[in-house]
Amino acid sequence: MKTVDIEIYHQSFTLHPSGAIFWQETQMVLIADVHLGKVSHFRKHGSAVPQDSIQKNFDQLDTVISFFAPKVVCFLGDLFHSSLNSEWSLFEKWVSLQQDIQIVLVAGNHDIISPLKYEALDIHISEEWQIGSILLTHHPEERENTFNFCGHIHPGIMLNGLGKQKLKLPCFFQSPYQMILPAFGEFTGTYVLEPDQEDHVYAVTQNEVILIS
Amino acid sequence: MTKRGKTSNKKTSSASTKELFELAESWFQQRGWKAFPFQKKSWKAFLQGKNGLLNAPTGSGKTYALWFPIVLHYIKNNPEYQTKHKRGLKAIWITPLRALSQEIKQAAERVAEDLDTQLTIGIRTGDTSQKERASQKRNMPDLLITTPESLQLLLASKGYDKTFKDCSAIVIDEWHELLGTKRGVQIELALSRLKTISPNIRIWGISATIGNLEQAREVLLGTNSHAFHNSLLIKASINKKIKVQSIIPDQMETFPWRGHLGIHLLDEVIPIIKNSKTTLLFTNTRSQCEIWFQKILEKYPEFAGEMAMHHGSVNKETRLWVEQAIRNESLKAVVCTSSLDLGVDFAPVETIIQIGGPKGVARFLQRAGRSGHQPGKESVIYFLPTHAIELIEASALQQAVQKNTVEDRIPYLNSFDVLVQYLTTLAVSDGFYPKDIYPEVKNTFCYQALQEEEWQWVLNFITIGSQSLQSYDDYKKVEIEADGRFKVNNRGIAMRHRLQIGTIVSDAVLNVKYLKGGYIGSIEEFFISKLTPGDVFTFAGRNLELVRIKNMQVLVRKSSKRTSKVPSWMGGRLTLTSQMSELLRNELYKASPSMQESVGDKKSVSRELKALSHIFKQQSKESIIPGPDQFLIETFKTKEGYHAIFYPFEGRFVHEALGSLLAYRISLLSPITFSIAFNDYGFELLSDQEVDMQQVIDNDLFTTRYLHQDLQKSLNATEMAKRKFRDIAVISGLVFIGYPDKMLKTKHLQSSSQLLFDVFRDYEPENLLFKQSFTETFEHQLEEGRLQLALERIATQEIVWKPCQYTTPFSFPIITDRLREKLSSEKLEDRVKRMAALLLKKK
Repeated sequence: MKTVDIEIYHQSFTLHPSGAIFWQETQMVLIADVHLGKVSHFRKHGSAVPQDSIQKNFDQLDTVISFFAPKVVCFLGDLFHSSLNSEWSLFEKWVSLQQDIQIVLVAGNHDIISPLKYEALDIHISEEWQIGSILLTHHPEERENTFNFCGHIHPGIMLNGLGKQKLKLPCFFQSPYQMILPAFGEFTGTYVLEPDQEDHVYAVTQNEVILIS
Repeated sequence: MTKRGKTSNKKTSSASTKELFELAESWFQQRGWKAFPFQKKSWKAFLQGKNGLLNAPTGSGKTYALWFPIVLHYIKNNPEYQTKHKRGLKAIWITPLRALSQEIKQAAERVAEDLDTQLTIGIRTGDTSQKERASQKRNMPDLLITTPESLQLLLASKGYDKTFKDCSAIVIDEWHELLGTKRGVQIELALSRLKTISPNIRIWGISATIGNLEQAREVLLGTNSHAFHNSLLIKASINKKIKVQSIIPDQMETFPWRGHLGIHLLDEVIPIIKNSKTTLLFTNTRSQCEIWFQKILEKYPEFAGEMAMHHGSVNKETRLWVEQAIRNESLKAVVCTSSLDLGVDFAPVETIIQIGGPKGVARFLQRAGRSGHQPGKESVIYFLPTHAIELIEASALQQAVQKNTVEDRIPYLNSFDVLVQYLTTLAVSDGFYPKDIYPEVKNTFCYQALQEEEWQWVLNFITIGSQSLQSYDDYKKVEIEADGRFKVNNRGIAMRHRLQIGTIVSDAVLNVKYLKGGYIGSIEEFFISKLTPGDVFTFAGRNLELVRIKNMQVLVRKSSKRTSKVPSWMGGRLTLTSQMSELLRNELYKASPSMQESVGDKKSVSRELKALSHIFKQQSKESIIPGPDQFLIETFKTKEGYHAIFYPFEGRFVHEALGSLLAYRISLLSPITFSIAFNDYGFELLSDQEVDMQQVIDNDLFTTRYLHQDLQKSLNATEMAKRKFRDIAVISGLVFIGYPDKMLKTKHLQSSSQLLFDVFRDYEPENLLFKQSFTETFEHQLEEGRLQLALERIATQEIVWKPCQYTTPFSFPIITDRLREKLSSEKLEDRVKRMAALLLKKK
């Protein structure tokens, strides 16, 4: 597993191939767009998406947590894809196993489950979260004197090579005042972005994070 | 015999077969016609209660061959037919194209009225209004003209068995068009049900000439079925004379090496149009059709008002108007696509021009047959090449017409997606018991090899959405009721299923409308998404400015700007059939030095080949023209990378497979990444590394050993199965296309079917629908059987490797093709890093 360390506003961050970011100073893991419940949502509407894929999201979460051993896990929105369904109970079970970790949800457009349900699990839920000059949101935000970590876009990058080769990969997309995280969840898809001169793109493969530009 | 018949006098007693025949023949006489032997044969067989397949071309009177006996049968069973009308559905006429239904209705009505039968004829297609459908539901017409999809929809409505109870006949028109498609499978399944619920039904198909007519009959009626044993094949041996004439440019030297439009020959077409009553110009794509129409009018404005355009995206009213205008002889020329291939009889058409290679003999012959419809008349078809090498195709077509070679249509086997859809359909209407339906399904051609476990798999799939019951699950589709009946009880699921019935998956289409109102036609989302408001594009022969896109509607206004974009429709690219490719190879070999020596006389060389002599010269200078014993490979380097071109001349589908196969085998020798391009003549492997071709030859990479395994592995790397899966996911209801008024954009459908494919690959690789995407790729896309034969042929040839300095005339059309496959044996991370390095270097 190859991660990449970067520095933003004198803070240190580690980019993980799963799409998570670890903020060392605060011992916090940032994760965007898990879209739990999406598979069950499809199944409820008669589309037989394999059930085994549900477990994959939880396995990935466990991998990241055992890798960084954080104190806080902050979900940057779209944690749950739909209204309550059977995956909620799996999520409850997962939360109960996370001892001594505080979980925070910065709500996104898909998060329509009642905040009371989250609070019952001791999950703090809010629209945004500002810590010093670091701003955590779901939708990309531009605000003076802050650096924004966000999700929502599911960024991807299209690479071209000699011999007409093409590759599409999910990525961390960093512009001067913003870092968009790739979607963490299985069964989510990507949206291709075009980087400018001042942007940095970190492509994500199964085992590595690779600086592209 | 009816009850009434026995007790009444002569007038009301049932007529004998002889009397019935007289009734029909006198109808023909009144019009100064004479019934053909094939028509009488069909009447007789039908009245004897037989099923069958009628092989008859368009315009031969096939409608009368089968509609007459349906009417006669009714007359026979209802002696008081002139005064008392017995209500209820008596016959179904299936047509693959909605556009043809009107024509059939008129012909049927003429007979029904002239014989004083009071029989009613109705149409039910996607165009039929909700109100009309509802009234049909209450009171079915006697003859229902409909499409395969609409027939499925009838099976999805409650109490459908009562609707079909007294149906005495179903006719599947243009069966050859449906045979090799999943719509054909829908028909097989619908017929398997009708055989049970309409005990007196006769099943008849009508087919143009194809290579496998006997098999076509078996597929229609069901392998080992009673219906099949009680059936016959009737051939309408109407021999038509066909003359093929190539249009060869005067200035062959400036004729392009590649291209697909053929516009530079426009001037040659004009005298042909002027000299004939009505001319149809067949193009291969809708965009080509638009461009030709536009260009002719630009250069020859005098044709305005005398020329029209006809293709599938033009609105229905315009199309009907054009068809009527052809019949009235009020048009000089019509530029069209395959939309005019079928049905509609156009006697006034005198001349056909085919623009670009038709790729198949049957298609070409059918188009040729559009002219000179009167029996005995000679059909003339002009062939207009769009690039130089295509002239070889013209030469091959001449041979085809002489030898009367036609292709097979390959029917589908074990289409689980269609079966899933069909069973859900039955569950939506009245529900079903598997023990009743299994034997019906098993008797069809498509599912003759269906295993018990597979059947159980499908049942599990629609009821629990997997093969093992899990505790936390929200899956909802078909429920099993207490008495074992499979039923959909959720209204939302039933409604979505009805909306989704239909196996044709095309790109999402948007309606094109004027700002002030007025529907012009429909256009693919793919094209319109590339335009911004203010852009001008050509559509339905008009220059239109895009104003905005709203609610799946493209709002436009007329524009006088001359430069404009022409929509490209994604429609399938055709491949050369095996018959065509063989003819083509043989033609090409005639130009090789070895053949020219052995033949000696120049007579066997056609006009077309002679016209190509300067291209052959150029090709021979840089490389060779392969003879029958040679297999040519060319290599050269350009700024794009290292090109290796192989020439099997087997058609694009086989080349696609062969290209992947060879790329895979080479990639085993050392890590390498290829992009693969192909056309009907050969394929290209392009890489950023040089391939050691001698090593390829020495390692016997064209062997047929491990063909299937290697193909499968090479396919894992390519995306073909994924693309097949898109249709499968839609047909089987895994992906929902959307409600008509708020259609899900295709992009969403695409990505979710691709996401699904990945999820199945990772978590449920044994899923039958997932596996089906591979089977279909092998059998229908890659034509594995043909590939095997091609490799066996190559094994007998000497491999000639020519390292070249420059691009050759043969290679040019291939290397400039932008549709490509890819294959890699390198580590993903290595490739990413190399591409990233390249990107950094540019900055």
